[in-house]
Amino acid sequence: MIKIEHLSKRFGDLVVLKDITTEIKTGEVVSIIGPSGTGKSTLLRCLNRLEVPSGGSIQIDGVDILDRKTDAAKIRQKMNMVFQSFNLFAHLSVIENLTLAPIKLKGIGEEAARAKALELLRLVGLAEKADSYPDELSGGQQQRVAIARCLAMEPEIILFDEPTSALDPTMVREVLSVIRRLAREGMTMAIVTHEMDFARDVSNRVLYMDEGIIYEEGPPEQLFENPKKEKTRAFIDRVRSYTCRISSPDYDLYAMNAEIEAFCEKQILPKKTRYNLLLLVEELLQIYNPYLRTVVLEMTIAYSEKHERLELICESTGEAGNPLESPGLTDELGVMIIRNLTENIDYQWLGGKNRLQLLIKTNLP
Amino acid sequence: MDLQTKTENQAIVVTISGRLDAVTAPAYEKSIRELIDGGNSNFVIDFEQLDYISSAGLRALLLMAKLLKEKGGQVCFASVKGNVRSVFDMSGFTGLFRTENSVAEALAALG
Repeated sequence: MIKIEHLSKRFGDLVVLKDITTEIKTGEVVSIIGPSGTGKSTLLRCLNRLEVPSGGSIQIDGVDILDRKTDAAKIRQKMNMVFQSFNLFAHLSVIENLTLAPIKLKGIGEEAARAKALELLRLVGLAEKADSYPDELSGGQQQRVAIARCLAMEPEIILFDEPTSALDPTMVREVLSVIRRLAREGMTMAIVTHEMDFARDVSNRVLYMDEGIIYEEGPPEQLFENPKKEKTRAFIDRVRSYTCRISSPDYDLYAMNAEIEAFCEKQILPKKTRYNLLLLVEELLQIYNPYLRTVVLEMTIAYSEKHERLELICESTGEAGNPLESPGLTDELGVMIIRNLTENIDYQWLGGKNRLQLLIKTNLP
Repeated sequence: MDLQTKTENQAIVVTISGRLDAVTAPAYEKSIRELIDGGNSNFVIDFEQLDYISSAGLRALLLMAKLLKEKGGQVCFASVKGNVRSVFDMSGFTGLFRTENSVAEALAALG
């Protein structure tokens, strides 16, 4: 139905979409996920010709929509879009919002348009609000009206651009349940969303976008359970990380501590966990210290919000060998503390580096 | 880290506050060494105001114990609590030193 090949979009020097190639088949529900600023919304806007791509091609049922001769209004009738911020006409009632385009663009009679609009409002559970104005509705209700308005044009494809991100958490569910219903009824949809559970339930296929490309794609169970690429996994597991590079034994411990504390505060980690993390970092630095004149150490603290899992990864150059088993240790005190603070320690020689991965206990008394 | 000392019942009471870590341990060692070299042999270390200790701090305490042993002196720890207590426990320090709940009890324990 939709065939996208080598699509690119740049704004001045900023390349938002590098090279996008994918297809959306009739009846398919495709969710597009990924960090902010990676071109998800731009992709949808290019599909709807709200943005003019810099290169590549988009075909809908074999019609090249980037061809200047193709009528943009016709494309938008076939492929309608629901926006993050609803975009309802504030001066029109709910029913007028729904009937305006069918009457003006499709030439449907007022009575027929009104009957259809009421039917659609019933579908989204808002028939009783037909004569209300947008500012009399909650955010969730406004978005449901926007979906009904979109359906009023009888599109073959609906593009959803973060339909719930402007809503309070309590209103998200009502909007998602309407979209779920459309999915069950076989509507072809492309949905940019940050609602991972929803994307997992509703989609036939999920595209993970990063760096301006489709970084990884697959059926939801594969992409969410077993992503092939590290970046996808980090996004799915909502991993936040902080990395610091130490290349001298005269590192500033207190400056590092301040940065680690700021990171912990951002992740709302409990005080005890912060204390243990700072202790663990100091103990590891003490162990690495004799080598820091010749070795570069990269310490990464990674916190998975989804699994509430805190890890510390130390990657160091130099000769292969587990630093915790080094014969040069003056005593066992540091190692004893490290073992007590961690649930698991894994050492590997990986890609020419020593990689020490420590899973930190987060339930210490 | 800050160290305050006072003499009580013929012992030196050292109140340590802040952090005893890789950065501050050398200063602690230096102060304690000076006190021992000055002829003091009975010590109470008050941990009430210590927020953080690492293995570097524990090594400084071990060094102190070693210096005192050489001079026939003794040390008792007081008010080892919270995070500092946890580090003592996980490194096996709790059973290694005489530890009391308060400075008064520690002074009494030294006799």
